[in-house]
Amino acid sequence: MSLLIPAHDEEAGILDTLRAALGQRYPALEVVLVDDGSTDRTFDLVAERYRLTETTPRRTADLPVDGEVLSVHRATTGDPLVVIRKRSVGRRSDALNAALNVARHPLVCMVDADSLLEEDAVLRVARPFVEDPANVIAAGGVIRAANGALTDRGTVVEPRLSRNWLVRIQAVEYLRSFLLGRTGWADANALLIISGAFGLFRRDLLLEIGGLDPRSLAEDAELVVSLLEHQRRAGAPHRVVFVPEPVCWTEVPETLGVLARQRRRWSHGLAQLLWKHRRMIGNPRFGAVGTMALPFFLVFELLGPVVEVVGLASVALAAGLGILDLGVAAVMVGLALAVGTLLSTTAIAVEVLTYHRYRRGRDLLGLVVAALVENLGYRQAHAWFRLRGLVAALTRRDPVWSAMPRVGFADAPTAELAAR
Amino acid sequence: MNVPLAPVLLAGAAVTGLVVVLLCAVATAHLLRGRRRARDVQRKRELTPLVHALLDDDPADGAPRADVVGAHADLDAIVLELLPQLRGTDRQVLRQVLAERGVVPRAVADLSARKSWRRGRAVTLLGSAAGTDHLAAMAALLDDRSPEVRCAAARALGKAGDPAAVAPLLRATRGGTGLPHGVVGMALLDLGAAALPALRDALTASRGNARELVAELLGVHGDASATAALEGLLRDAAEDLPVRRAAATALGRIGSPTSTEPLVAALTNSPDHRLQRAAAEALGRVGDPVATVPLLAGLAAPDVAVRSVCADALARLGGEGRTALQEVAGGTGAAAPVARAALDELLAGPRRPEPAGAR
Repeated sequence: MSLLIPAHDEEAGILDTLRAALGQRYPALEVVLVDDGSTDRTFDLVAERYRLTETTPRRTADLPVDGEVLSVHRATTGDPLVVIRKRSVGRRSDALNAALNVARHPLVCMVDADSLLEEDAVLRVARPFVEDPANVIAAGGVIRAANGALTDRGTVVEPRLSRNWLVRIQAVEYLRSFLLGRTGWADANALLIISGAFGLFRRDLLLEIGGLDPRSLAEDAELVVSLLEHQRRAGAPHRVVFVPEPVCWTEVPETLGVLARQRRRWSHGLAQLLWKHRRMIGNPRFGAVGTMALPFFLVFELLGPVVEVVGLASVALAAGLGILDLGVAAVMVGLALAVGTLLSTTAIAVEVLTYHRYRRGRDLLGLVVAALVENLGYRQAHAWFRLRGLVAALTRRDPVWSAMPRVGFADAPTAELAAR
Repeated sequence: MNVPLAPVLLAGAAVTGLVVVLLCAVATAHLLRGRRRARDVQRKRELTPLVHALLDDDPADGAPRADVVGAHADLDAIVLELLPQLRGTDRQVLRQVLAERGVVPRAVADLSARKSWRRGRAVTLLGSAAGTDHLAAMAALLDDRSPEVRCAAARALGKAGDPAAVAPLLRATRGGTGLPHGVVGMALLDLGAAALPALRDALTASRGNARELVAELLGVHGDASATAALEGLLRDAAEDLPVRRAAATALGRIGSPTSTEPLVAALTNSPDHRLQRAAAEALGRVGDPVATVPLLAGLAAPDVAVRSVCADALARLGGEGRTALQEVAGGTGAAAPVARAALDELLAGPRRPEPAGAR
């Protein structure tokens, strides 16, 4: 297993991320960190901690990389760590392709540099590849919001909910997406997205499709769809698996500005993806992916914000013109609120009845309140961010991957750890 | 415009009702789970000494045997958790406990239950608890209509440890409802060295993809008696490529010098890059200096991964290979960077060991 970690200005949490990655319970593991043009102390911290020494790159593939590779280093502490320094061209996919060129194991796991893997996460997500090597081509695990969690040297000791309401709402979003959405899509063999924060792939297939698309802003979904298309066209078996137990804890945006950038990028990337693979949409040759998943993403994920924003604007306009029936509007808003809350509450119920990671009652209460609050303001703002991403894609603006400011993982006070 | 509000209100009320029900379920589940956890800890604390007393070879003088039949149902879970960690007499004692408590007969009856989770649970339990007593009934579940039950049956057969399970397990990889190779492979590995004679027979008698699996397993066992048969598979140009690749990897793991010649032939003559890589890696593991020249030639292979594996293999050959590698590294040819990378790696010091195939 080669764990590939692209990092750009990640000094806040890179050592914790590496500690968690190198501490995986897995028999044969290497970690390939790509310092993608960091302007902070990311490389210095890693070089100091792992006593890096420059080495001749041992290439295992010849994927094209736009950003010049400046040097390759390896740890002299006995840790199976390789560090690539390269110039950034503003694309995560370019950094991952550089990592793929030196990765040596048959499976590659892509992990974000602001994420903490639980110690057996990789072992569990690799299981489908071991059990069904002929069919499984990709697998992903659950991502949860790490903000607020009690951590100790790269390990989440106790999952806790952040006090920040924006983070709490995203925690509910992640539960909804992973515990309901992806489980269902995977059961239908139509899973399109293996999160870039934690996804496992067969390296030979990644090389066959020429690595990650350097222009894509949604390189994780783009990769899965390209793999599915490649396997379908070749008549080769393909299963994309979602494993609900392994958990990767990731830092989510804490401010509205950062969240807006992230969601615009996702929407822009989704539009790119659907345009690039437009021939697959509705095409029964591509099975459930063509007939169910891609049309769903087109109608609900990509065009949904258009309906939502136009709907809100028309209500505001009708109110301004005095032609809005307040009674009808109130009933409709009530119904929309109830339906929105039902989905989130179902996700929280699945979390409590099955995984039960949040042990404290106050965290569960926080999730429930966030599920309600989400519908009042956040949801509308989210639709606006996504609409702007769609507009950026339609106007063919240059895709740019902007780094998210990190706060890192704060270690728990020693007294609190000792009391556990 | 008249909007019919009644259905909307009704739908809203229904959805709100559902939300309330879910919230109540969440609160109840949270509270109950907390209580159950505390109760489980308490019960485990009470029952664990009972299990320890059963395993004690030298019970206190005159002490009567603990009443295991009347003990709480949680005792079964504790025993089943402990069983895989035990061998010999201790394992037998705990199996006896489960039989006395009626766990094994109940599981046998459940093998034909209508619900798949009950069949799966029963076969898993029998695999851990019943030894080889119910092999035929467990093997029959390899053809179960539920894929999860088929997998559970394979794992249980592995845990039961009877080499007679080799043939049904290999048969279970066939057809559209065939079991995944990984599941069967792990079950066969669980059977241990006792399964080796049956696996050797299967190397020539079974179908292509089963042969691939068997070749891989013989390599994992390091079974020197299978060397000749594996070399035969590797030499056979008409054989399926995955089988030849598995044979090459297995020969590397076994490490016999007699394998150098067929491995060199595969590296030199095969057009398949994956077979070349497997052969080069195996040559590195065998460590025979005779392979120096063909591996040096491999440094000029068109596939970059083959070049890297050949360089690593040369580094593993010992003095002769390293000297050859240093000469190449000092040059200016296309192979120089690959040779330098392999030498750098050699100097980098110890790393976690890598299994075969990790290239």
